[in-house]
Amino acid sequence: MSEPLLIGRPSDAALGDELLGTTWRAGGAGWKIAFAITGALTALLFALITYTVVKGIGVWGTNIPVGWAFAIINFVWWIGIGHAGTFISAILYLFEQGWRTSINRFSEAMTLCAVLQAAIFPVLHLGRPWFAYWLFPYPSVMEVWPQTKSALPWDAAAVSTYFTVSLLFWYLGLLPDLASLRDSAPTRRRRVIYGLLALGWNGKAVTWRHYKAVYLVLAGLAAPLVLSVHSVVSSDFAIALVPGWHSTIFPPYFVAGAIFSGFAMVITLVIPVRRVFGLHHVITRKHLENCAKLILVTGWIVAYGYMIEWFLDWYSGDRAEMYQAFVARPFGPNKIVFYLSMICNVGVPQIFWWTRARTSVWVLWIASLLINVGMWSERMMIIVQSLQREYLPSQWGDYSPTWVDIGILIGTIGFFALLFLAFLRLLPFISLSEMREMAHELVKHDRRTPAHGERHDG
Amino acid sequence: MADRILAQYEHEEALAAAIRRMRAKGYRALEAYLPFPAIEVEDALIGSAPSAPSRLPYLCFLFGMLAAGVAYALQWLLNGYLYPLVVGGRPPHFPLAFVPITFEMGVLFASFAAFIGVLWRGRLVRLTDDVQGTPGFESATRDRFWLEILAADPAFDPDRTRADLVETGALRIELPEVGP
Repeated sequence: MSEPLLIGRPSDAALGDELLGTTWRAGGAGWKIAFAITGALTALLFALITYTVVKGIGVWGTNIPVGWAFAIINFVWWIGIGHAGTFISAILYLFEQGWRTSINRFSEAMTLCAVLQAAIFPVLHLGRPWFAYWLFPYPSVMEVWPQTKSALPWDAAAVSTYFTVSLLFWYLGLLPDLASLRDSAPTRRRRVIYGLLALGWNGKAVTWRHYKAVYLVLAGLAAPLVLSVHSVVSSDFAIALVPGWHSTIFPPYFVAGAIFSGFAMVITLVIPVRRVFGLHHVITRKHLENCAKLILVTGWIVAYGYMIEWFLDWYSGDRAEMYQAFVARPFGPNKIVFYLSMICNVGVPQIFWWTRARTSVWVLWIASLLINVGMWSERMMIIVQSLQREYLPSQWGDYSPTWVDIGILIGTIGFFALLFLAFLRLLPFISLSEMREMAHELVKHDRRTPAHGERHDG
Repeated sequence: MADRILAQYEHEEALAAAIRRMRAKGYRALEAYLPFPAIEVEDALIGSAPSAPSRLPYLCFLFGMLAAGVAYALQWLLNGYLYPLVVGGRPPHFPLAFVPITFEMGVLFASFAAFIGVLWRGRLVRLTDDVQGTPGFESATRDRFWLEILAADPAFDPDRTRADLVETGALRIELPEVGP
């Protein structure tokens, strides 16, 4: 409780100028270079998607028996990254964690960008993506209705609901700030654009009352939703019989892994952003430290998931399960991902026991990158290594990605970054109305305890 | 003649105090505009015109439950009745397997109700309204707090109301032009 959430007590006007100024100030050469690189990678992504659709998914490394491979790894990885955004904006809101205020908008945008990347993969993986709409029960004369007892329609429902609800939650939170942008826009063109987006918000007390009530409802809806999405994703695996997949620990283990990787991504993004925009007094060390603590907690849940899996594989007495856990993963083909997951997901987070590691920007940033690598490796371990070694040795196979697989993965990272940079440039990435509310509450708090001042902010 | 009077205050406590004093003087049709939701203003407004607690959460619950029910019924119709197929060893009508989509649709439609509800009750999705364009009013989304008294208020009288507002410490007072 020693580090402040907000350094100094900026006035409403100063806070507004600072947080809205990020959209008015012209970008320098650095921004142009960043947009050029991410734009080029996005072009690569769409070129490779076109290539995949034209030639068929034979251009991927996907084979029999490894029928899921990169597409599903990337899908699970990206959607997992999205989860921290909803965790911060909804679950921490319900628990009245004041520190979420300055990073929630930002993390929600990260969620939306990540879910968009995730959504690309299952659709391409269908092989004939132009039939993707068959997943939905549209009124068809074929009378071949979608079967909702399989996990794929669950995924379609969960991911599209997740994206839509995240978008509504994010946009509702943006409305007051869009109105602020409208009312402080330097040019008429921007005033019109932000004015249209603000939908006529005028800050009337009655509107605020409905807004607050509904914001709480949406947070209450998003909280179980985020837990359900990765549970449903994990069901894709858990309801199959493949050794290494068929396990009841999967839903909580996947949800924890998702939040774990998502917080790592929040740190990866927030550290450069606060440096570039000079927002060290709004996104303070306390925010980074809290994210690091949550990484440590969720990292331990992930480690516990690994241990329970090993225990149950042994306890089941099933030869295929034991072979999968104790031979195929550590010693079989693609064993590198097993070691990367153990080092990055179990080893690396342990440095966060030390306050100095939690508050050192460089340690945090490098650890967050390693955790992202580790969580990607974990999905590769679960998906590819399990499929490589199923029950019968005659089914066994091997897997290596092609350049198209790798190009699409890199392309989604570029597309994600492009969308995120556009968000940073065009919209206030820190919730201004919530920061004002917090600043006023802190001022009142200071007035009540004049002797202590800023020390009691946490 | 203007159909309302607007007064600007420096902070939420000044606005709350002004609302209380104006109510004590018999004004009833009061409304506030502020850059963030302030609890003091909420409390001060209780009892004046549209201050009933929001009932939108009930609407969300209703829509969520309806959508969940429809989603379950649709799954039964498609999988249990129109195209009964044994998938993964599960019988055609298998309630457990219908839970994920039932839940997701409930959440989805409750969220739609929440979002559309706030636009509806807040009378949003409009290009402008009666107060936009009032000189200085853009500060309502920045750092100032505004009080509105409608001319429909029985206690309203342009000159006396203005004098009353000056007494409450208003920084500026505006009578917006009635639109064309």
